[in-house]
Amino acid sequence: MSDIKGKVLKHGEQTRTMHWVHLICFIILGCTGIAFYWDINFISNIFGGPANASLVHRWTGVVFTVGPTLYILLNFERFARFIDTISHISKDDIGWLKVMGGYIPGFKPDYIPPQDKYNAGQKMLGWMIILGCLIIILTGFPMWLWRYELPAVFLSFCYNVHFWTAIIMMLLVSGHFFLAAIHPTSRVEFGSMMLDGYIDAEVSSHHNAKWFNALQKVE
Amino acid sequence: MSIFSEKSGITRRQFFKGTGMLAVTAIIGGAFAKFGFDVFAASHKYIEERIAGLYTNDQKMVLRKSHENPEVAKIYKEFLSPGEIKPVSEKAHHLLHTKYGKDIPAFIEELKNPHHEAPAAKASGHEAA
Repeated sequence: MSDIKGKVLKHGEQTRTMHWVHLICFIILGCTGIAFYWDINFISNIFGGPANASLVHRWTGVVFTVGPTLYILLNFERFARFIDTISHISKDDIGWLKVMGGYIPGFKPDYIPPQDKYNAGQKMLGWMIILGCLIIILTGFPMWLWRYELPAVFLSFCYNVHFWTAIIMMLLVSGHFFLAAIHPTSRVEFGSMMLDGYIDAEVSSHHNAKWFNALQKVE
Repeated sequence: MSIFSEKSGITRRQFFKGTGMLAVTAIIGGAFAKFGFDVFAASHKYIEERIAGLYTNDQKMVLRKSHENPEVAKIYKEFLSPGEIKPVSEKAHHLLHTKYGKDIPAFIEELKNPHHEAPAAKASGHEAA
C-alpha cells in the first residue's frame, strides 16, 4: 500500500442514483420473473398475486430501460469515459486476468499489474451487463406488446433467451455483489457506489493505480 | 485531507467510443423494433383480409340461414319431429347435441334408449349443441 492520504470521488451522484435504480429494478424483476416462471405463489403474493406481479414486472422493466437511457443521454461524458475504459484492453488487463487479480483463494501472485478505474474483471462484467441488459430488453418488450402478432415460434425463442439471459445475469450480479460487498480485499468499493461516492486514496492508488495517477487534486 | 477527482471533459477517442456504442445500440434496437412493427402490420393486414374473405364467402352463399335450408326443414319434418318443424324436439336433442364424458357405454345406451340419459354426462354438465 502507498502512503497517500485522502479521498477519491470515484462515482458521481448521478451514477450512484442510476446504479441504485437499476439495482432495485433488477431485484424486483428477478423476484417477479422467478415467481411466475416457476409458479411460486409465495413470491407473487408479495406483489399482490400473479396478475399484479406480471404488471409490476412489465412496468419495472420500463424503468429498467428508461433509467439508464436517461442517465446516458444526460451524462454522456460519464458514459463515454466508462465505455472507453471498459473497451480498452491492455497488457496489464491480460496480466491481471492471468492471476485473476489475486482473488483466487490460496493463490497469492507476486505481481498484480496496475489497473484502470475498473480492473479487467470489472471490464468484462461491464460488457456482460450491457449485453445482457440489451438482450433482456429486446426480448422482453415483444413478449408484452406484440404477443398476439408475433409468430409463436419467435415468442418462444424470446421467452427462452429472456429466461436464460436473466439466469446468467443473476449469477453475474451475485458474483459482483460478493466481490463488491463481502470479499475482504474489495468490499471497500461498496461505499463508493452505494453511499457517498468516495473511496480512500490509499486503496484507490493500490487497486486502480493507472487511473489514480491521472486524477487531479481538488482540495 | 486531500480530495482527488477525475478531470472534467472527454477526449476525442472517448467521444467516438461513446457515440459509437449508442449508435450500435440504436441500430440493433431499431432493427429489432422495425421487425416487430412489420410483423404487427402484416398480422393485422392478414386478419383484415381474412375477415373480408369470410364475409364475401358468406354473401355469395345461396342459403345463408340454417332455418331457411329446405334440407334441414325436410329432415325435421320426416325424422326429427315427424309432421312438423320443431328444432328442440326430443329426438333432435338426443341426436344433435354433443355430450362429453368418459362413460362411453352409457352414451351408447342413451342413443339406443333416449329416455335414459347417460349419468356421467348429466353429472359433468358438459354439453354443447
